[in-house]
Amino acid sequence: MEQIDAAIIGGGILGCFTARNLCRWKLSVAILEAREDVCTGISRANTAIVYPGYDHVPGTLKAEMTVRANAYFQTLCEELDVPFLRCGSLMLSYGEQADKVLQKKYLQGLQNQVPGLKLLSAEEAYVLEPMLAPGLHTALYAPSAGTVNPWQLGIAACENAVHNGAHLFLNRKVEAIHKVDGGYVLETENGSLFARGIVNCAGLDSASVQEMLFSPSVRIVPTAGDYLVLDKSVAPVPSRILQYEPEQKGKGLTVVPTVEGSLMLGPSDRENEIDYATTETGLSFVREYSHRLLPDLDLTGVIRSFAALRPNPQRTDGSRINSFSIEHPAPAFWSLIGIKTPGLTCAQELGFYASRKVAAELGAEPNLSFDPLRKNIQSVHSLSFEERKALVGNFPDYGEVVCCCEDVTKAEVLEAIHRGAVSVDGVKRRTGTGMGRCQGSRCEQKITALLAEVLGVPESAIPKDGKKSEIVWGSRYDTL
Amino acid sequence: MIHCELLVVGAGAAGISAAVSAWKAGCHSILLADRAVQPGGILPQCLHEGFGIATFGKELTGPEYAAKLSESLQRTDILYYPETEVLSIAHEKTAVISRRGALDQVGFEKLLLATGSREKTIGALPIAGTRPAGIFTAGQAQERINLLHQDLGQNILILGSGDLGMIIARRFTLEGKHVIAVLEQNAHYSGMARNYHRCIEACRIPIRFRTTVTEVHGTGRICGVTIRNLETGEREQIPCDTLIIAVGLIPERELVRGLGDPDWLYSVGNCRQIYDIVDSAVAEAEQITRKALSL
Ligand SMILES: Cc1cc2nc3c(=O)[nH]c(=O)nc-3n(C[C@H](O)[C@H](O)[C@H](O)COP(=O)(O)OP(=O)(O)OC[C@H]3O[C@@H](n4cnc5c(N)ncnc54)[C@H](O)[C@@H]3O)c2cc1C
Ligand SMILES: Cc1cc2nc3c(=O)[nH]c(=O)nc-3n(C[C@H](O)[C@H](O)[C@H](O)COP(=O)(O)OP(=O)(O)OC[C@H]3O[C@@H](n4cnc5c(N)ncnc54)[C@H](O)[C@@H]3O)c2cc1C
Repeated sequence: MEQIDAAIIGGGILGCFTARNLCRWKLSVAILEAREDVCTGISRANTAIVYPGYDHVPGTLKAEMTVRANAYFQTLCEELDVPFLRCGSLMLSYGEQADKVLQKKYLQGLQNQVPGLKLLSAEEAYVLEPMLAPGLHTALYAPSAGTVNPWQLGIAACENAVHNGAHLFLNRKVEAIHKVDGGYVLETENGSLFARGIVNCAGLDSASVQEMLFSPSVRIVPTAGDYLVLDKSVAPVPSRILQYEPEQKGKGLTVVPTVEGSLMLGPSDRENEIDYATTETGLSFVREYSHRLLPDLDLTGVIRSFAALRPNPQRTDGSRINSFSIEHPAPAFWSLIGIKTPGLTCAQELGFYASRKVAAELGAEPNLSFDPLRKNIQSVHSLSFEERKALVGNFPDYGEVVCCCEDVTKAEVLEAIHRGAVSVDGVKRRTGTGMGRCQGSRCEQKITALLAEVLGVPESAIPKDGKKSEIVWGSRYDTL
Repeated sequence: MIHCELLVVGAGAAGISAAVSAWKAGCHSILLADRAVQPGGILPQCLHEGFGIATFGKELTGPEYAAKLSESLQRTDILYYPETEVLSIAHEKTAVISRRGALDQVGFEKLLLATGSREKTIGALPIAGTRPAGIFTAGQAQERINLLHQDLGQNILILGSGDLGMIIARRFTLEGKHVIAVLEQNAHYSGMARNYHRCIEACRIPIRFRTTVTEVHGTGRICGVTIRNLETGEREQIPCDTLIIAVGLIPERELVRGLGDPDWLYSVGNCRQIYDIVDSAVAEAEQITRKALSL
């Protein structure tokens, strides 16, 4: 049986950051991920905001971590070579109820020491964002808010963990856990594994993973939300994150100018949903509220819609959860259960927190040769003409444009495959192919062909995204 | 830096005929660039007949028409760069082009934009549900079937009864696939009568008017859709393993977005307006080229 020190169940952003941080100790570390790739769950579909930290009850771990994570985010993104946009945010009130909420958040933010926080008059807010609908009361301005591409950040953390010696076991769904002498045995669909310690980062399944061994303490009650994405050609668009604070509960809307240059709108709020399917009512809610908040926004520029699932944690004893629900049901067993917003913001903090606890319990020594740096796939799009010319001269594949909407070349796609992409969406997550206005209708065929060629399989074996999602069924040439 | 008098972006029917007519009119410094391997734009993937009735007096297939264009191109000394992406165009009358192993700046006097069109995708439609594998645009399906010889699925539903939708419906039928239906939101098919008779009637493909897709079902592969009758509001679930989106073309003008309307820029072919008939696209492209050169 394979033996390791620390097993991480789940390769979402939290699992990847836990792995990265566990490598700061002299431990053998492995991520066990059920899917064929990392960051395909909640970490793929969320609002992508790096929160400033005024939303949380002062004194909680959540409040403290969010403010610290935000302050450190630029450095983190430099270490991991991931784009980060500190665009600032405006929380918007159009009524008296919402004014009170903003006032409360403002005071809370001051207590949490959120930098630069200001309550703005409507006039001041219109100067910053002239597109806002008339009738604004007040706005809470947080210059430290930002946005990051969540799956890029998670993939970067995973690559950095592997670079520091962590193992990544894909297609290894954990099906049962047994307590044995000195640790745990994890049964997976591809064989068992012994680990001295476990960090459960299984996202929507984190409660059921913990219940493989322990009695329930926190349950996850998922809700769903729908989003729309507008093409980067749409203009004008707001340049900051907008959070429309509703007068009635549950009818808010967030607008995010993403690092890719597109505009994301959402989410709607729906109950008791269990799959990543959008609904008509959810999508029309987002349209309607977007139009209400930004009457001049060109909603004909929609290029994509998607749904997200919130892993809402609820204590089985009915007590309220004010902070992150981090469970420690037994020695060297930690669970990050139902980590929703701001789990992306705090991924590094949470990963470090869990690792430090586990490392202490396992009596591990610090690993002084830990290397925090990771290089992203070289993208041509951000280069100057001269830089790009030199690169194309040295590496001819950089001259061949594969995705014409997002300007991604063959060299980038090949590098993504080399780094672990096995599906069309895996390439998309690593390079941005298919994210643009034609949504892959012109490059998908080239990408499936490249995947097939490099992986040495027929094109009919190339999935779009996960199991049983093959794009073509066969080719007349397969049998030749 | 490469210099030319006339830069033509796109070697589809419009781009080639514009370049060739400019050549004939005495402009001998022309660069014609296209991202595709072969010339002709969308023509090589249109295996059906129906091209060139006005110009050649008979019905050619897309590849035959493309071959004629390509012959006319070969009779000139136009510098033709296939597999070349035009990345950007600047006010200074320069463009950046990228090819395998080379990135270049091109200086020009006049520019003919002949970049064709792109298809509307499912992302732009108000269709809820999941986004599994098995959803293709009509042109993408056409390329995969006709040029890459791939098998895309067995039970096919087609959204949109324009020429693209009707032609791909027949294509699937000829491939031995089961086309469940063509769905059309209007009360009448939206393509040409000729295609309705040859594709829908001749292949006995069911067509359902005043009907649209509201939701996609399936994880992994698509397993069905919900459709809605726009008259009665009635909904129905239809199982399918492939959904073809054939809801129209959008002129591809991203390269010149933000340039305004400079006097050196001319647009021909589908990037100017969507042409149903290649002959009209070609005829107008030639006219516009003459105008461009006499300036
Ligand atoms: C709608 C929404 C919006 C959000 N917006 C923001 C935001 O703007 N800013 C912010 O900071 N945070 C935000 N968050 C929170 C953030 O996205 C999450 O906290 C974070 O992505 C959680 O990551 P994860 O790794 O726990 O989950 P996941 O990414 O879901 O990862 C869990 C992984 O575990 C794997 N797994 C499950 N079971 C097993 C098993 N038995 N064996 C092996 N592997 C298994 C899954 O396949 C999956 O890959 C948002 C969340 C939601 C839902
Ligand atoms: C499915 C279908 C069936 C049709 N059937 C018929 C028919 O039966 N009879 C008929 O007469 N007409 C038919 N037509 C219409 C006719 O084919 C078109 O109007 C005509 O071919 C359009 O030519 P084009 O040159 O404008 O565009 P395209 O053929 O689309 O050519 C544009 C070219 O520009 C290139 N390009 C774009 N951007 C760049 C860039 N940035 N860098 C480099 N290259 C670039 C593309 O690669 C492409 O090769 C049909 C059209 C379709 C879509």
